[in-house]
Amino acid sequence: MTNAQDINLHFHQELETLEQTVLGVADRAEQMVQMAVEAVTTGNQELAQQVIGLDDDIDRTYFSVHNNWVQLMARFQPLGSDLRKMSVLLHLNNTFERMGDQCVNIAKITNFNAGLPRVERIAGQIQEMGDLVRPMIRAAIEAYLRQDLDEARLLPAMDQPVDRLNANMYKEIVAVGGDPQQLEWATKMLMASRALERLGDQAVDFAEQTVYLITGERAEFNETGLDGSTDDGSS
Amino acid sequence: MEQELEQQTEEKVLDRPRPAIEMATTRAEQEPKDLPIVFSVRDLSVYYGDFRAVSNVEMPIRRNEITALIGPSGCGKSTVIRCFNRMNDLIENARVEGRVEYHGVDLYSDGVDPVEVRRRVGMVFQKPNPFPKSIYDNISFGPKIGKYKGNMDDLVEESLRKAALWEEVKDKLDESGMALSGGQQQRLCIARAIATSPDVLLMDEPCSSLDPIATLRIEELMLELKSEYSIIIVTHNMQQAARVSDRTAFFNVRLSDEGQRTGYLVEFSPTEELFTSPREKDTEDYITGRFG
Repeated sequence: MTNAQDINLHFHQELETLEQTVLGVADRAEQMVQMAVEAVTTGNQELAQQVIGLDDDIDRTYFSVHNNWVQLMARFQPLGSDLRKMSVLLHLNNTFERMGDQCVNIAKITNFNAGLPRVERIAGQIQEMGDLVRPMIRAAIEAYLRQDLDEARLLPAMDQPVDRLNANMYKEIVAVGGDPQQLEWATKMLMASRALERLGDQAVDFAEQTVYLITGERAEFNETGLDGSTDDGSS
Repeated sequence: MEQELEQQTEEKVLDRPRPAIEMATTRAEQEPKDLPIVFSVRDLSVYYGDFRAVSNVEMPIRRNEITALIGPSGCGKSTVIRCFNRMNDLIENARVEGRVEYHGVDLYSDGVDPVEVRRRVGMVFQKPNPFPKSIYDNISFGPKIGKYKGNMDDLVEESLRKAALWEEVKDKLDESGMALSGGQQQRLCIARAIATSPDVLLMDEPCSSLDPIATLRIEELMLELKSEYSIIIVTHNMQQAARVSDRTAFFNVRLSDEGQRTGYLVEFSPTEELFTSPREKDTEDYITGRFG
């Protein structure tokens, strides 16, 4: 084996390690969505604190991945599919770190809402959004791992009901009525709804990166909500 | 409306019809605009005696672009670049088949004067090779042979300016070109090539003997010069090709039935495309180091 092949073997091993580390964060984010939604819908502050702790781990991993990424670029200057993968991993490292932040946003609402009466219907809707977002993250991970273009392209469709539920949340809050404490609890849950909607968008973004990795073509899954809401959720 | 939304959220997500997805295709946007063709290479093969060094090359070279030729050793890229100014004529037993058209004229037809070809198509080599003469004479040598009738001082200054060397040598034009640094010598060779008013510059690994700073200076110079010239560069440094060229040709080598190693053109693409998402697997294997 030549030295050049040794060096390239080294690069591809390091690239694989970097990839596994980044995808590990996606796994962690999926787990954190479940924990955060359970915490905020049941008022479990201990669970919420665990989510915040897990995000600290994600933040540390983010910096570690970034440092390793810079080192790999400086040492090997990869090209072709290796360069695309490096580009995708840098993007995903940022996306997954922000997914962790969104989970923290949801978890923190648990503390804000402590002692306030919950509204079952709204808690159910947040739970439903969580049940839709987690499979999206899982599908995006699987699409990446299997390099499955068809599965990656399913993500925008999976995101539609999340967008609809988020848009519908305003109506649910209006329907709460005049109890100020219930209204306060419900209004805070609007932030949880918004965070889950963003998590859905980030899973779609993940799938777009997978399409780029496989095809070399930049894909923009361009979908507006059925109610005319834009990509950032504003009306 | 509310009822409709509830009903929709209860549907199985994966059973939904796939939505229209807008693909933002950027590849077409990355493609350089099609400038006029300077060289048109058609079914080019080059032989050294019975040995076919390179076979069936087809590619256009466009005006005001930098075209890079890359590939492993023995793939024929230096053989091909030498076809553009008939340098292969100087190699015994070398024979060219196919056509190399220069502005529509067959470069290898009987009426074409190879010396005039080399005036119009200048060449810079791997190792700087200034004449053992003064800096001034290095530049004026070619124009004198070509019976240049203008002001020679002006031509020397203009050529050195275009090669980004004037400021460094203007006070020592009588000194030997051999006394300059490697990077300066290579720029002197570029100035010498420019002095005969070519419209194409061939560069065969022009930076392989230079340090990174001198290399960067030559690369910057190439980018400046392409507004006036068409440049073809052979390089082993893929990052250099990626940095400077508009289009890149990747050559590979195959073993013939007779056991001969013959070079061939695998892919000729806009550089950005070739180095990020090449069309051919051989190109991908080479640029990602999975070759061989």
